Amino acid sequence: MAEHKVLVMGIDENDPLDYERAEMADLDVEFVKANPQSEGEAIELVRDADALMMRSTPYQGEQVLRAAEKAQVLAVYSHGFNQIDTDVCNEMGIIITNGAGMCMEEVSNQAVTMILCLNRQLIQYNERTKAGKWGRDDVPPIEPIDQQVLGLVGLGNIGRQVARKMFNGWRMKVIAYDPYCPPWIAQEYAVEQVFSLHELFERSDYISVQIPLNKETHHLIRKEHFDCMKPTAYFVNVCRGGVVREVELIEALREGKMRGAGLDVFEQEPVDPDNPLLKMDNVIVAPHSAGQSTRSAWLARQRASQQVAAVLRGNWPSAGQNPEVASSLQRRDRMQSLEPKLEASREVLPMAVLPEG
Amino acid sequence: MSGDGIRILYLGPEGGDTHDASQTEQQSRAARQYGAEFVQYSGSSEGELIEALKDADCAINQGHGWDASLFTHMGNNGRCKGLVSFGHGYDGMDLETAAVNGVVLSNTASFGTEEVSNQTMMHFLVCSRKFVLHDKLVKAGEWTRQYLPPMGHIAGQTFGIVGIGNIGRAVARKAQAFGLNVIAFDPYRSSWDAKEYGVEIVPTLKELAERSDYVSPHVYLDEGTYHMFSDDFFKAMKPTAYFINCSRGPVVDEPALIRALQNGEIAGAGLDVFEQEPVDPDNPLLKMDNVAVTNHYASYSEIAWERANTQLGEEAVRIADGYWPMSLINPDVKHHAPARKDPISWEVMMANR
Repeated sequence: MAEHKVLVMGIDENDPLDYERAEMADLDVEFVKANPQSEGEAIELVRDADALMMRSTPYQGEQVLRAAEKAQVLAVYSHGFNQIDTDVCNEMGIIITNGAGMCMEEVSNQAVTMILCLNRQLIQYNERTKAGKWGRDDVPPIEPIDQQVLGLVGLGNIGRQVARKMFNGWRMKVIAYDPYCPPWIAQEYAVEQVFSLHELFERSDYISVQIPLNKETHHLIRKEHFDCMKPTAYFVNVCRGGVVREVELIEALREGKMRGAGLDVFEQEPVDPDNPLLKMDNVIVAPHSAGQSTRSAWLARQRASQQVAAVLRGNWPSAGQNPEVASSLQRRDRMQSLEPKLEASREVLPMAVLPEG
Repeated sequence: MSGDGIRILYLGPEGGDTHDASQTEQQSRAARQYGAEFVQYSGSSEGELIEALKDADCAINQGHGWDASLFTHMGNNGRCKGLVSFGHGYDGMDLETAAVNGVVLSNTASFGTEEVSNQTMMHFLVCSRKFVLHDKLVKAGEWTRQYLPPMGHIAGQTFGIVGIGNIGRAVARKAQAFGLNVIAFDPYRSSWDAKEYGVEIVPTLKELAERSDYVSPHVYLDEGTYHMFSDDFFKAMKPTAYFINCSRGPVVDEPALIRALQNGEIAGAGLDVFEQEPVDPDNPLLKMDNVAVTNHYASYSEIAWERANTQLGEEAVRIADGYWPMSLINPDVKHHAPARKDPISWEVMMANR
């Protein structure tokens, strides 16, 4: 019997697990692929697993986590891990890892795409032109973007990319609200930090949100903020639908509190076909596709696999998301250090050569 | 006010003017804004210091002696939970003893990022343009171009950075403005993170040595980096390449650097730091025309030091009021200390007070 059992949930049964196997080549690992059809089935599967790798599966709730008595790590392949109950993992001594950085280029590009489309009125002109209409009169004016202000909610990996691209590329003035961001990082990216969301919404011509969804950020953005916006400003969301109170966004758009919005995400996904946002001329939408690219598809797998490998080797993983778990880990006598070990970088490890996207 | 009952203990240099509050206006600013008490330590014995720590929630150390046994006293006593130290490097600090005693450590992270990266760029240009030699020649009345070759074009050359943290990234950004290709060795960084800065990560220190026309370390000093640059490294460098050091002297095996310069294995050096400081006046590095030297002031500017002084106070208040500091330098303490709140911006702390 192998030393470690790694359970990969929500995966095609014919998937060769190339990335997972390559990153754990030096470990004695048995991989189990599963697509449980019920919570009960999931509970049985996780019981003796040392590591849980979660792709898209609906069965990741509290009861499943509590059954994972042996699990040292739960790796999600995505950036967000809002579907995982952090408190339960802390209690169980399970380290949560995410795909930090695996799609920061992609998501920031999506935000920039939306900002530019809104600025250039591209979708409206596209529709009119294809419909044989050569007029420009009934489309809102195009503002000079280099004289406008971009307001970022969240200045993490993704927010910094948006800042870098819009400052270096378009010479926009960039301001950000992120109470957790050290001032020296903001300075490095030439971003002015503001310390209230209201100020951010008042001053910005474009607002782009890139924060994780958790208890603190659920419905963080709501009517009181939309009320502060310039009527000519745009709102962009490429992170999670749940950070916005969507009914109030709809109301604000109807009342002309802003000029339009770009949305990659919705409170309910897949989005309800009757959602009024889909009927508005000044709203551009995408199906939660911001993180997608041929590179992020394999990078997600490589990252998740590296995180699991680090934990199985007894090291704190570079993308560990719940340091509060440390006190339970100590009881279980697992981790030697909370600092990622040298192995965090793939390049220094002798590993199977994999195609680079 | 939420600062009520919080007490910050400030340790200045021994023998300094410890009672003069006007000397610590910047360091005490955060405590005053927050409504916390700021006390300047004036004792002179270890016993007095141990007692003083018992009455404080967090200590600030700016140039005072500090023995690791103090962490044990803090662990046993329980009130003073943190120590914030002036400066960037924390060599000489016993991180582990602090961690096992539940003492949270912080530094004034990034206070001199602009200054150190500017000093690095200055040394790089002085090396590349052979400025020290020509300044000396012209002042001595010698007007010649015979010593100019070989001289690189800079644009298109390769700048190798070891350690791509706050300072390394600032250097990378500035070097790119000169058209340099920037490569870096940093085993804690993945290639896609570095791509963000347009920096190519190389897998070994040796490859960095072989490919670079300029090498500049931006690492902190610990067991892992001590004498990281020795004979092997300098022998792998191009004979036309320059070595810059604005980090810590002991990351370089200095006799090996001197040998490399004397044997023409490298073209020159720009040094802000030395293995022994103040530097020995007889150190051969001080006699070489292809070596530019400064006296470990890379991080200095009035603004940087004001920022460091202010940051000391803000971090101390964070720790004293149950937050993690923005710059936690001993994360292992999370094994031993009770849970804390995530660190937030000073302005937001003040607004939420």
